[in-house]
Amino acid sequence: MSGGVIVQEARCRGCAKCIKSCPTEALRVSEGLVRIIPELCIDCGECVRVCREKAIQLYEDDWQLLRAQKNLVLMADPTFYVQVGAYARPALMKEALQSSGIEDLTEYEAAAYDITAYAIAKLLETESRERLPFISTYCPAVLRLIQINFPELVGRIVPVESPLEIGVLLWKQKTGRDDPVTMAVPCPAKTTLVHAPEGREKSTMSYSISVRRLIRDILAGSPKVTGSLPAQPNRRWLHWSVSGGECRHIQAFSERPLTTISVSGLRNTKDLLTELELGRLSGVDYIECRACDLGCIGGVGTSESRFLSQLRLDSIQFEWTPTDEERLAAASRFESDVWRLEKPFTAKQRIPLAENLKEAMDKLRTMNAIFSELPHIDCGSCGRPSCRALSEDIVRGHGEMTDCIFKLRERIYGLSAEIHSLSGKIPHTFRSQVIHDHEDQRFV
Amino acid sequence: MGPQPYVERYVVQGGVFDAIGEASTQLKSVLKMLGIPSDITRRATVVAYEAEMNLVIHAGGGEITASVFPDRLELFVRDEGPGIPDIPLAMKEGYSTATDEIREMGFGAGMGLPNMKRNSDSLDVRSEVGKGTSLFAVIRFPSDPVQQPVKEG
Ligand SMILES: Nc1ncnc2c1ncn2[C@@H]1O[C@H](COP(=O)(O)OP(=O)(O)OP(=O)(O)O)[C@@H](O)[C@H]1O
Ligand code: SF4
Ligand code: SF4
Ligand SMILES: [Mg+2]
Repeated sequence: MSGGVIVQEARCRGCAKCIKSCPTEALRVSEGLVRIIPELCIDCGECVRVCREKAIQLYEDDWQLLRAQKNLVLMADPTFYVQVGAYARPALMKEALQSSGIEDLTEYEAAAYDITAYAIAKLLETESRERLPFISTYCPAVLRLIQINFPELVGRIVPVESPLEIGVLLWKQKTGRDDPVTMAVPCPAKTTLVHAPEGREKSTMSYSISVRRLIRDILAGSPKVTGSLPAQPNRRWLHWSVSGGECRHIQAFSERPLTTISVSGLRNTKDLLTELELGRLSGVDYIECRACDLGCIGGVGTSESRFLSQLRLDSIQFEWTPTDEERLAAASRFESDVWRLEKPFTAKQRIPLAENLKEAMDKLRTMNAIFSELPHIDCGSCGRPSCRALSEDIVRGHGEMTDCIFKLRERIYGLSAEIHSLSGKIPHTFRSQVIHDHEDQRFV
Repeated sequence: MGPQPYVERYVVQGGVFDAIGEASTQLKSVLKMLGIPSDITRRATVVAYEAEMNLVIHAGGGEITASVFPDRLELFVRDEGPGIPDIPLAMKEGYSTATDEIREMGFGAGMGLPNMKRNSDSLDVRSEVGKGTSLFAVIRFPSDPVQQPVKEG
C-alpha cells in the first residue's frame, strides 16, 4: 500500500466489520483500532465501501487548497465524463470545468488512449506466441495483486505506460508547460498511481482528488453550458471505464484478430490469474482485468451508479475504427517511445515465515498445531479475517492464542474450575476436625 | 536418515468439480510461507493441479501427499480408480479418454500428464488396471532455496 486508503482513527469503533471484505487479508483490528498491513494492501478500496463509520477513506489532497490556486490543471479519469447524464460528452464537461476556472486536458486524452492501444496492438503483433497473453497495466490494484500474489505473472505485464500519464506527457510536450497537474481518480489504486507509481520513478501528476468530489463541486456551481464548443476528437477512450473497452480499443488498432479476455471484480480477476498461472490459457493474446465490478465505473470514488454509467456509455455512438489521421498520429508517437514504461514491474512477495527453510518448516508446523486448536468458524472477533490468519499472526509474533475469544473462554473456564476447587479446600488447621465430623456422619 | 520433511496431505473427492484447485491453491500458499522460489512454487502448483483434476475426473478421488525436504518437494498421488492400461500412451500429448461432457467443461485436452512431466524433475507413474494409479513427482530446489522477497520501501 502506498497511501491510497487512509484510516481516520477517531472514527474507528473497532467493530471489525471490514476485515473480511479485504481480498488480500490486509486488515487487522487490535486495541479497538483497524490497521492496514501495507505489504498486503492493493488499494482496491473494498474496505472503504464496507465501513459504515467512514473510518477508512480514499486519500484525497486538500481540495479547498487546490481550488484556491489561480490555475488548476486537471487530468480526469474517463469515468468522470460518464457520471452525469446531461454532461455525457467530454466537450460539455470541459465547458463546465472552464466555467469553474479549471483547465482540463481532455483533448490530450483521446490521443493518449489511442497511443496506448496502438502500442499494445504493435507489441502483441511482434511478440512470440508463447510469451502471450500479456496483461493490461490499466488497473493499478490488479497490478499490485499480481506483484504480491502472482509473482510468476509479473513478466506478462505489458510494458506500456498508463494512458493517463501519457496524456499529461503529451500536454507537457506540446505546451512546454510544467504546472502541477491534479488527477480526478475513481479509486484508491489510481490515487497511488499519482503518489507512488509503479513502473516509473515519479508520476507526471502531483495531486489527486476523487471523481465524486469533483462532480459534486462542479454541479454545486450549476455551471452554464452552451454546448457550442468545437467538436471533440474521438471518444473511444471513454470506454476504458467499462470492462472490455480497452480490448476493443486495442483490437481497433490491430492488424490481426485478437483473442482477449476481459473480467471485472476481484473474484473473477483472482480466478483468471490463477488459471493463467496454471498455464491453462494458451491461445489467448491479451487479458484485461479490473478490480471493480463492471470496471472503473464501479470504483469507490465515483458518484454515479455503475449501472447507469454503463447504460450511458452503451447509448453513445462510438467511432471504433480510427481515421487514417488518427492511425498516423498514433504510429508516429509510437516511434517516440512516449508510451514505454520507465522501469519494469517487480514481484513483491510477502516475507516467508522464517529466513531459512528449516526454521520456516518448524514455524509452519507450529502454525498448523495452533490452527487445529482454533474453532475454525472465522468469527472475526480476534480482529483477524480468519482462524488461519490468526495462527499465522501468532507464529509471526503478532498475536497470542487468547486473542481468540473461545480460547480465552476456555482459559477462564479452566481458571474458574481451579478457583472453585481451591475454594472447596479447607485450611489445614481445621482439617482433622472436619474429617472427624464427616466420618462421624458416615458411621452414625 | 535425512531430516524430517514437512508434510501436507490433501484428500480429493471424485466427481466434485467445484473443489478442483483447492489442494493446489493451499499448496501454493504453504510453499510461499516457506519462502520457496516463485518459479518452483508455480511448477509445483501446476503438477498438483493436474493431479487433482485427474483424481476428480478419472479416478473417483484419491489423495495427494506433499513432502517438503530441504532440497526438494515430493508429490505422491494415489488413487484406487480404474487404472491406466497403457501408460506411455496416456503420457502422450493430446491423448485423452475424457467424455464429451467433460470436454465441454473445458477439460480433457490430454495435456495433464505431459504438463506434469514438463514441470517436474522426475515423474514416475505406476498403475494396475482395476486397482489404481500412483504418481511420484519430484521437484528440486536450487541450492539456496529461501529467496529474499523484495521488501516494501
Ligand atoms: N488417475 C487416473 N486414473 C485413471 N486414468 C487416468 C488417470 N490419470 C490419467 N488417466 C488417463 O490418462 C489420460 C491422459 O491424462 P491427461 O491428464 O494427460 O489428460 P486428460 O485428463 O484426459 O485431459 P486434461 O488433463 O488435458 O484435462 C486420461 O484421459 C485418462 O484416460
Ligand atoms: S484497500 Fe483493498 S487491499 Fe487495501 S486494506 Fe482495503 S480492502 Fe484490503
Ligand atoms: S477497476 Fe478502475 S476504479 Fe477499480 S481499482 Fe481498478 S483502476 Fe481503480
Ligand atoms: Mg488430466
